[in-house]
Amino acid sequence: MPERAELGVMNAIIFSALIGVVMMLGGIVIKSNAGIKLLAIILLFILLGSHLAEYYDLFNIHIQTHGMLAKSRFGMFFNTIIISLTLLYVLLSGDEIVKVGTYGAEYFALIFFSLCGATILSSYNNLLMLFLGVEIMTIPLFVLTSSEKKNLKSNEAGLKYFLMGSFSTGILLMGIALYYGGTGLFAIEASKAANEAQQAFRILLPLGLLFIFISLSFKVSAAPFHFWTPDVYDGAPSVFTSFMATIVKTAGFIAFIKLFELRSVDMGYSWKILLPLIIILTLLAGNITAVFQQSVKRMLAYSSIAHAGFMLFALYNPNDFGKQGIMLYTVAYSLATIGTFAVLTKMKDYTYEGYNGLAKTKPVLAATNTIFILSLAGIPLTAGFFAKYYMLASALKESTSNLWLVIVAVLFAAVSVYYYFRVIQAMYFKDGNAETTEIKPFFKTLLIIIAALIIVIGLMPSLLLDLFYA
Amino acid sequence: MNQLVYLIPLLPLIGFLINGLLRKSLSKSVIAIIGSGVILASFVISLVLFFQVKSSGGQIINYFNLINLDKLVIPFAFQIDQLSSLFLLIITGIGFLIHLYSAAYMHEETNEHYGRYFAYLNLFVFSMLLLVMGANYVIMFFGWEGVGLCSYLLIGFWFKNDNYNYAAKKAFIMNRIGDLGFLLAVFWMIAKIGTVNYTDVFAATSNFSSADITAITILLFIGAMGKSAQIPLYTWLPDAMAGPTPVSALIHAATMVTAGIYMITRSNILYSLSEVTQHLVAIVGLATALFAATIAIKQNDIKKVLAYSTVSQLGYMFLGLGVGAYTGAVFHVMTHAFFKALLFLGAGSVIHAMHHEQDMRKMGGLKKYLPITHITFLVGCIAISGIPPFSGFFSKDEILAAAYAKNPIYWGIGVATAALTAFYMFRLYATTFLGNFRGSHEQAHHLHESPSAMTIPLIVLAALSVVGGFFNVPEVLGGHSSLHQFLSPAITSEVVHEASHSTEYMLMGISVAVAVIAIVIAINKFSKKPELQDAQGFAKVLENKWYVDELYDNIIVKPLNSLGSFFKNIIERRGIDGMVNGVGKLVNYSARQLRLLQSGLVGGYILFMVLAIIVLIYVWINDNHILSFFYKYF
Repeated sequence: MPERAELGVMNAIIFSALIGVVMMLGGIVIKSNAGIKLLAIILLFILLGSHLAEYYDLFNIHIQTHGMLAKSRFGMFFNTIIISLTLLYVLLSGDEIVKVGTYGAEYFALIFFSLCGATILSSYNNLLMLFLGVEIMTIPLFVLTSSEKKNLKSNEAGLKYFLMGSFSTGILLMGIALYYGGTGLFAIEASKAANEAQQAFRILLPLGLLFIFISLSFKVSAAPFHFWTPDVYDGAPSVFTSFMATIVKTAGFIAFIKLFELRSVDMGYSWKILLPLIIILTLLAGNITAVFQQSVKRMLAYSSIAHAGFMLFALYNPNDFGKQGIMLYTVAYSLATIGTFAVLTKMKDYTYEGYNGLAKTKPVLAATNTIFILSLAGIPLTAGFFAKYYMLASALKESTSNLWLVIVAVLFAAVSVYYYFRVIQAMYFKDGNAETTEIKPFFKTLLIIIAALIIVIGLMPSLLLDLFYA
Repeated sequence: MNQLVYLIPLLPLIGFLINGLLRKSLSKSVIAIIGSGVILASFVISLVLFFQVKSSGGQIINYFNLINLDKLVIPFAFQIDQLSSLFLLIITGIGFLIHLYSAAYMHEETNEHYGRYFAYLNLFVFSMLLLVMGANYVIMFFGWEGVGLCSYLLIGFWFKNDNYNYAAKKAFIMNRIGDLGFLLAVFWMIAKIGTVNYTDVFAATSNFSSADITAITILLFIGAMGKSAQIPLYTWLPDAMAGPTPVSALIHAATMVTAGIYMITRSNILYSLSEVTQHLVAIVGLATALFAATIAIKQNDIKKVLAYSTVSQLGYMFLGLGVGAYTGAVFHVMTHAFFKALLFLGAGSVIHAMHHEQDMRKMGGLKKYLPITHITFLVGCIAISGIPPFSGFFSKDEILAAAYAKNPIYWGIGVATAALTAFYMFRLYATTFLGNFRGSHEQAHHLHESPSAMTIPLIVLAALSVVGGFFNVPEVLGGHSSLHQFLSPAITSEVVHEASHSTEYMLMGISVAVAVIAIVIAINKFSKKPELQDAQGFAKVLENKWYVDELYDNIIVKPLNSLGSFFKNIIERRGIDGMVNGVGKLVNYSARQLRLLQSGLVGGYILFMVLAIIVLIYVWINDNHILSFFYKYF
C-alpha cells in the first residue's frame, strides 16, 4: 500500500509499548500470580484487538513518521501472526513464566517490550528504525535470559548474550554508518538523486550492507555467528527460550527479508556466494551438532539454528515466494516450537532419558509432542513440510542452478530426523517412568488445538496463505 | 428395466456390507437369507434383462466418469448386450444355487465365520458382475482384481491351516502374473488410441499396427492364462481346492475361471485380426486340456480330480476360442458351469457325508447311502463325458467340429482328451459310488444323505446338465443353433466352418464311441478293484502331476529366493547398510568434532566471529574470482 507509506503500523507499536507499561504498574498493585497472568492475557487481547482494528481499517492512530516506518500488508500480516503467537504462548506457558522468579509482572512487561521491537522490525523503512527495533527487541531478552537470579547458568547466559549482542550491535552500527557514507541516506528505499550524488563513495554501500547482513545473521543465529545460541538458549529459563526461539527469531528474519527485498541488487554478485555459504554453514552447524546432544533443550537450541538455515532460503526470492514461505515457516515453526517447549517445561528431566515412557504416563502430551516433532522434522501432512517446501522452492524459483543447494538442504533435513525422532523413540519405545509436573486439562486442550492447527495447515497451507492475500 | 441395471451388482455389494459388518450380531439364518436373497434378486433382474436384450438388443449405460484426465476419459459404464446378459444369468443363477447350498454346507461354522463366508461370497459375485458388465477394459480390470481378491480370501478361508494359506498365496501370485499382462495390454491401448471402451477400441482397430494387435492380444491372453488356469499358470487351481467346496464350485469351476474366456470372447474382433495369437491360444488350450486330463487320471483326492478336470475343460474352451468358435466356447462355459458346479456340489455332499474325508480310496459303495447325490453325480459324469443328448455333448461337439475345420490334428488331440475325460470321470464315479464301502466303521455309521438345501441345488443343476445342450442344437441334428443366432450381434468374428453333414456325423460318432469305450473300461476296471496301492512307474509321474510344481519350485522359486538372500545378505548388509551406517558414523564423528567449537568461552566465540567476518570480506572482495572458479569447475 504505497499511498500510505508515510504512516507507520502505529497501533501495534504504540499498544505493545503501552501494555508493557501497564503490566509493570499492574505488578505493583496485583500480587497474586494468577492475577498477573490474567492481566497479561487481557492486555494481549487488547493489543490483538487494536491491531486487528487497524488491519480492518476501523481505528488507528495516525502519526507522521516522515518515511521512517512503512505500512505494508506483509508487515501487518506478520504482526497479526506474532501477536497471536505471543497470546498462544502466554496462554500455554503463563504459569511457568510467573514461576521463574518473584517478578512475574516484569517478565510479562519485558516480553511486551520485546514484542514492540518486533513490530518495529516488521515496518521499518529506515536503518535507524532497524537499529531501534533490534535493540528494543533484544535488550529485554538479556534480562529475561538471566532472570533466574539464583541459577549461575542463567546469569552466565545472560551475560554472554549481552556481550556478544553488544558486539553484533557494534557491527550493525558500523554497517549503517558505511551505508550512510555510500548513499547519504538512512532510508532503505534510496532515491536515485542521492545515489548519484555519492558516486565517489559507492563502494561503501555494499560494504555497509555486508556488515548489516553479518549483524542480522547474528540475530537470527546463522553460522558462523551462531555461537551464542546454544549457550543462551540452554542457560535461559526454558519458558523464555521458547519465546526467543520463535517470535524473536522470526522477527529477525522479517527485518532481513525487508532489507533484501530492496537492497540485494547493491550487494552485487557477492551475495550469490555469501548466501549459500552461510546457509550451508548454518545447516551444518545446526544439524550436525544437534546429533550429539544429550539434552533435549540443547538439541532444540541447535535445531533452531538448523531452522534458521532453512529460513535463509527465503532471501533468494524475497518478493513473492519467499514472503509466503517465511509466513508459513513462521507459523509452522513457531507453533511446533512453542508446543514442544511447553511440553519440555513440564518435564522434570530435560535429557532424552527423561522422556522415556512418556507415552504411557501422559499419552496426550506424548501424542501432541510427536506431532510437533514431526512438523519440526518436516514430515508431510504437518505444517513443517510445506514450510520447508516453500523455502526450497523459492531458491529454485530464483534459479534452477540452485538445485545443488536444495539437495544439500534436504540431506541435512534427513539428518535432523535422527535427533528429532530420538524424542519420539524415547516417548514411545523406551521403558521408563517419565516424570512431569502437574498438567492442567486446559494445557492439554491447548496442546491438542496447536497440534490440530499444525495438521490443518499441513493439509491445506492455502488456508493461511489465502489470508495473506485476502 | 434399464433404470434397475445398477442394482444387479449393487445388491450383492449391499449384502457384502451387511454380512461383513454385522457378522458378529446377526444369526446364521439371517446371514444366509441376506446372502442368498440379494443374489436371487440380482438373478431375477438379470432374467428380465436377458429377455429384454433378446427382444430389443443391447446398449451401453453411462453413469459417470471414473477417470477424467486431459485426453483420457474412462467412464463408469455398463455394457448390456447378448454376451454379458448371458453371463449375468450364469453368474447369478448358479451363484444363487451355490449360496443356497452353502447355507447348509457351512452350518458348522461359528456365526462370525459364517457371516464372513457369505460376505466374501457376495463380494465375489459383485466383482464378477462388474467384470462382465463393464463397458471398458478398466471396469473389467476392477472386477478382474476383485474376483482375484475374493478367490484369495476364500481359498484361505480356514486361515488357521498354513497349507491353505500357502495355497491362497499361490493363487494370488499366479494371478498377479497374469494381471500384469492384462494391465500392460490396457496401457498399450491407452498409449496407442487413448481409449479403453470396447466400442471405441474395436472401431479403431485400423489405428493399430498388426504388431500392436498381436502384442495386445497376447498380453490379454497372458491375463487369461492366469485367471483361467492355462499352461503355464495353471498350478494354482488344483491347490485352490483348499477352500470350502461350494467356493470351488462357484469360483474355481463355474464362474471366475471362465473370466478369461469371457474377456477373449469380448475382444473377439481383436483376436480375429491376429493369426499368431489365435494359433497360440489354440495350442495352449489344447496342451492344457490334454496335460491336465492325464494328471486327473491318477489323482486320489476327489476334489483334485475335479480341479484338473476343470483345467482340462478350460483348455477345451481356449481351443474353441483359438479356432474361432467363440460361440462354442461360450456355450461350453455355460454347460460346463452346469455340470461342473453339479459335480463339485455332489463331491461336497459326499465329503459332508464322509466327515471331511476327501480321499476316494476310503470311499466306495456310496450309491446306496446317498441316492440323490449318486444319481445327480452320475448325470454330471455323463454330461462331462459328452454322451448325447446330455449338455456336454453339444458344446464339446461344436468346439471339436470347429477344430477339425481348422486342423484335423487339433481334433484328434481333442478327441483323445475327451476319451481321457470320460475315463477319469468314471474312475472317480466307480471308485466313489460303486463297490464296497472302505471307510472306517464310524464313518459308515454316520453316512447320510445331505439336507434338502444341498440336494435341491443338485437336482436343479442335474436337470440343467441334461437339457442345457438344447439351447444350441446344431443344424445337422435338426436344431437352429439358437445360441449362435442370439450371440451373433456381440460376436462378429465367428468363424463359420462349412462341413458336409456326413463329415459331421462321422466326427460325432467317433467322439461318442471313444467316450463310451472309455466309460466301459473305467467302470469295469474300478468298480470291482479300485486302485488302493501307491502308483508305480509312469503312473507315479502322473500322480505327482508331472512334477510341475517341483519344476517351478526349482527354476523360479528357489533361484528367486537365493537371489533375494543374496541381496539381503551381501548387497544389503555389506553394501547398503555399510553406506548408511558409514554416513551415520560420519555424522556422529563430525558432531563430536563440531561440538568442540562450542567451548563456552565468549572470547573464543568472538574470535571466531571476527575471523569469519574477515573471511566474508575477503570473499566479498574476490567475488568475481570465486564465482568464475566455480563456474569453471562445477
